[in-house]
Formats: sequence, structure tokens, C-alpha cells
Amino acid sequence: MIRLQSVVKSYSIGKEQVDVLKGIDLHIKEGEFTAIMGPSGSGKSTLMNIVGCLDRPSSGDYYLNDHLVSQYDEKELAQVRNRSIGFVFQQFQLLPRLNALKNVELPMIYAGVKKKEREERASEALHKVGLSDRMGHLPNELSGGQKQRVAIARAIVNNPDLILADEPTGALDSKTSVQIMELFTMLNQEGTTIILVTHESEVAEYARRTVFVRDGMVMQNETTVKGGESL
Amino acid sequence: MSVAENMKMALSSLLAHKLRSILTMIGIIIGVGSVITVVAIGQGGEAMLKSQIVGAGNTIELFYMPSDEELIANPNAMMMAPFTQEDLKAVEKIPEVTKVVATSSEYGNVRVREDTLEASITGINQAYLDVNGLKVDTGRNLLAADFLGGRRVAVVSSSFREELFEGEDPLGKVIFVRSQPVEIVGVLEQPTGLFSFGANEVYLPWNTWRTIYASNELSQVTLQTENAEDLQEAGQKAADLLNRMHNTEEAYQVINMEEIAAGVGQVTRIMTIIISSIAGVSLLVGGIGVMNIMLVSVTERTREIGVRMSLGATRGQILLQFLIEAVTLTLIGGGIGILLGWGTSSIVSHFAGWPALVSWPVIVGGLLFSMIIGVIFGILPANKASKLDPIASLRYE
Repeated sequence: MIRLQSVVKSYSIGKEQVDVLKGIDLHIKEGEFTAIMGPSGSGKSTLMNIVGCLDRPSSGDYYLNDHLVSQYDEKELAQVRNRSIGFVFQQFQLLPRLNALKNVELPMIYAGVKKKEREERASEALHKVGLSDRMGHLPNELSGGQKQRVAIARAIVNNPDLILADEPTGALDSKTSVQIMELFTMLNQEGTTIILVTHESEVAEYARRTVFVRDGMVMQNETTVKGGESL
Repeated sequence: MSVAENMKMALSSLLAHKLRSILTMIGIIIGVGSVITVVAIGQGGEAMLKSQIVGAGNTIELFYMPSDEELIANPNAMMMAPFTQEDLKAVEKIPEVTKVVATSSEYGNVRVREDTLEASITGINQAYLDVNGLKVDTGRNLLAADFLGGRRVAVVSSSFREELFEGEDPLGKVIFVRSQPVEIVGVLEQPTGLFSFGANEVYLPWNTWRTIYASNELSQVTLQTENAEDLQEAGQKAADLLNRMHNTEEAYQVINMEEIAAGVGQVTRIMTIIISSIAGVSLLVGGIGVMNIMLVSVTERTREIGVRMSLGATRGQILLQFLIEAVTLTLIGGGIGILLGWGTSSIVSHFAGWPALVSWPVIVGGLLFSMIIGVIFGILPANKASKLDPIASLRYE
């Protein structure tokens, strides 16, 4: 489903050119639960941005569902983000003035879904993450775990092919982290492909496969035992 | 995303910063308000001037002005009676003409007991009453019977009463015009118009005037038509007809009062445009205020923009969102400005005794103009928002 072939990303700082990604080859199949690990500065965030269609590689090909999205223009990328990718961020990134329901409705607004259907699907998604009773609450009235659940509901509401979670438990306590990771596991069992970017190995353990990134290259590519069990 | 949804979203983000939104709007409110006020007062003044020049009815006056050539060819032309009874009857037959007002006027001394006063003594026909109307303050107006019978009755102007009667009740008193007695039956209202001044006037039924002056001459003929559009044509027809009847080239003419009114209207319009463009400068300043606050808003909401982009908003949609927000801001400001201008011009017209006209085109124009201001000054901040990098925006603190 996801195929990166010798993806290079370089930035020029002044006259100097810095290669952040130095030829990444990565293949992720549909329904996989993959963790991308690596120390800070390894390029995993850049990798995530490219996979999330927020950025384009300097060279190399990125195929998403057999479409060469690395050649897409910005408008097409926006559509791919909207329809095929659900983002979950460390800082939740909920719009503070919208209540939970409205936040979950956002991706559907950009997908051109009618108001009534939007409300139905948003409340359905919130129900799925266990927040049926918090729909009218503003983000600052919710706990960190609840905020992240709203963000997950927002990520799944357009039925994306892929959920990209960037340190989803980074701002949560360990107990809440477990709940959130269990939610991801549940979604994965329902068939959603999940890519998790993290530097915590406990979190990465929830994934069936871990990809290590260091110095802009994929170092290690292993399938964990625990992931194997859940098959 | 539809425009309506964008508007709703814009309203909610404007409501989130009420004070800031209101302060930003003030520039637009004052700008639109002052333009509306100036235009309303200007148009009101123009309408008032025009109505005073053209008069109430659709009337046009026939003039007898022989050219120099005609005077040389016929030196008596100037002495001739300009209009005759036959002329009147011919003109009345022109299809567009509904009424023909005929008057004869002479200046002469009027005597009451020992006092005399020079006054304009005008014989009028009944059509004069229908078209011009004589507003009687005390006593009664001239009646159909007065016209038909040529009764010796008169209606006098209020200044005539003051000069000759000085507070005495003139009704029923007899004045002498060319030594012939005439009874005063009514006194006219004080004129209020801009160009009216208190003249000493005596109005008699035309038949009475004819007997007193022993003359069939009509000094002034005015036509009235059903529709204002027919006026100029009917007037020209009448002038041509009279020229033919009198064997003159162009001694009979019509002056188009509407043309004069249009000229006056143009002057007031130019004044209005000048003053309102000065007022419009404040709109410009208001627009810059909107731009300023929208730029701040874009910076503040960098993260929101990043989130929206990551959720699939295109650059175009982000641009539209902020543009509509700016337009909503100026549109609301414009709406309040229109109400303010309406109120102000009503107050001004109340105290200045000058009508104010807030017309629909002005209201629509005001709203449209506020929208344009919103677009012009909103495009820069909106463009800035749409050009943001989603990755950097998501990380913005």
C-alpha cells in the first residue's frame, strides 16, 4: 500500500545542502501496524511528513495505493490528506473554539460532506472512541486522553486508508497512554493501516513491526513477537 | 465548503474576539456612515431643489420671444398680444395636453380707501387652480362660479394683506383695481419655498380681469400633461402650432424647466460626490485597519491553518476562509454604518428642515462597497495564510 523507493529529502541551509533522508526504501502493506522509531534528528519526522503528504521528497518515488503521489501537485496532495490519511498529533491539534463534534466534522467539511451526514458520522466516530457523552465539550473542557480520542475520531471519520500517529502518547500519562494504544490496536484489528512515530519502545511494542530510522536511513526492519501474536 | 458555511465560521471567529472585531469595524462604520449621510442629504437637497424648480405638476410654460429678425420685419411684434383666446383653444386640442393654464398679468395700483399699493394683478383661469393650486389661508378660494360668471372677487397674497390692511381682517373688504371694485374673499398662505418671496399679488378670475382691463390678451400660457415624458413634446407641438398660427419663425418657444432642474441636480450631485469622496477616505483608513487585524489574526491562527491543511484544506480553501472573514467583518461594519448614516441624516434633516433621502441604490451600493473593501484589504492577509507551510504551522507556538 505504501511504497517508498530511494526517497531523498534535502534542505539547503545557506549554501550548504543537508540531506535529512538519504534514500529510504520502505514498504508497508495494507492492514499493518508499523512503528517508526529513531532518535531525534534521525529524520523520522521528515519521513512522516512525506508519508503524510505534507511534504514531497526531493527525489525518489512514493506510491500510495499504487498512485505516484510524489508527483502530485499541492491541491491533489490536499485531497490525498483529506481522503486517505488520518493524522494524530502529539499535541492533539484540536481547534480550541470548536466543540468535539465540530472538530471531528472538519475533515468532512473539506471532503464536501453534507451537514446532516457530517453530524451523523462525527457522532458515530466519537461513539467509537468512547466519547459519546462529550460531543458538545470544547477541547479545554476535556482531559488529555479525551482530547487525543477526539483527535483519533477526527482521523478515522473520513475512513482513511492510513492513520499516521506522531508521538500520540507523548503528552499523556502512562495509564492514558495504554488506553490510547489499545484504541489504536482495536482500530488496526478492524483493518486500518497504522503508522506510529515514536521514540518510546513501550509504545512501539504495540505495533507488529518496527522500523528504525537513524541518520536518514532505515537501519533495522523487524516484526515484533507481540504483533505476531495478534495476527 | 460552501460560502454560507464559511460565513458561519467567520462569524464565530469574529465573535471569539468581540472587542477587537468591533474596534476594527469602527473604521468601516464611520466611513460608510458618513458617505451614506452625505449622499442622503445631498440627494434630499437635490430632490428638494428640483421639485421647487419644476413645480408640483408636469407643467411647461410657453414663451413669446420674437427674434431680432422678426422684430425688424415686424416692429409691432413686441406690442402684440402674445396669446389669444383662439391660441388657447388650439393648444387645448393637442392630445397630450390635459390642462392649459392661462394667465394675464399687469402691474397696477390697487386702492383701498385712501391707501394705494402697487401689485401684480393676475387673471387666472380655472385650470390654474387645478395645476398650481392657490393655497388659501383664510377666507375661501376662487370657485367655478367665480370663473364662469366673472364675479368681482379676488384672492390676495399674504404680504399684500400686511401692506394694505396691517392686521385688519381683509375678508369682505373692497379694493379698487383701475377704479373698479373687487371684493377680497381669501388670503393666501405665506409662501415657504426657497425661491418664493412675499410679492404683492392679487388673483382675479380671468373673466373679471378681462372686463377690468378690457383686454383679451393672455400673457402666460402653461401646459400640463398626464405624463412627465410627454411634456417636452407637447410643449414643442404647442410652440410649433402657435408659430404656424401667427406666421412666426420661432417667436413661440418652450423652456424646459426639467433641463434647468437637471443642471441644478448635476451641481448638487458633483458636490455630493466631492464631499462623499472625502468621507470615503475614512473608509480607506478603515480598510487598512481591517487588513492589519486580519494579518494579526492569521499569525495567531497559524496552528489552526496548519491543522486545517493537514486535514485536507487546500490553499484555495484557506484563502477563501480568511477572505470571507474579512468581507464578513467589513459587511457587518457596512451594515451598521448604513444604519448610522440613516440615523444621522434623519437627525440632520430634522434640524435643518432639509429632506434626507436614503435610497435603495445607496444602501445596496454601501453594502457592495464594504464588501469590495473587505476583498481588497482581505486579500493580502488571506494570501499570507494560504501560503503558510503546513509542517511549520503545525509546530508554531
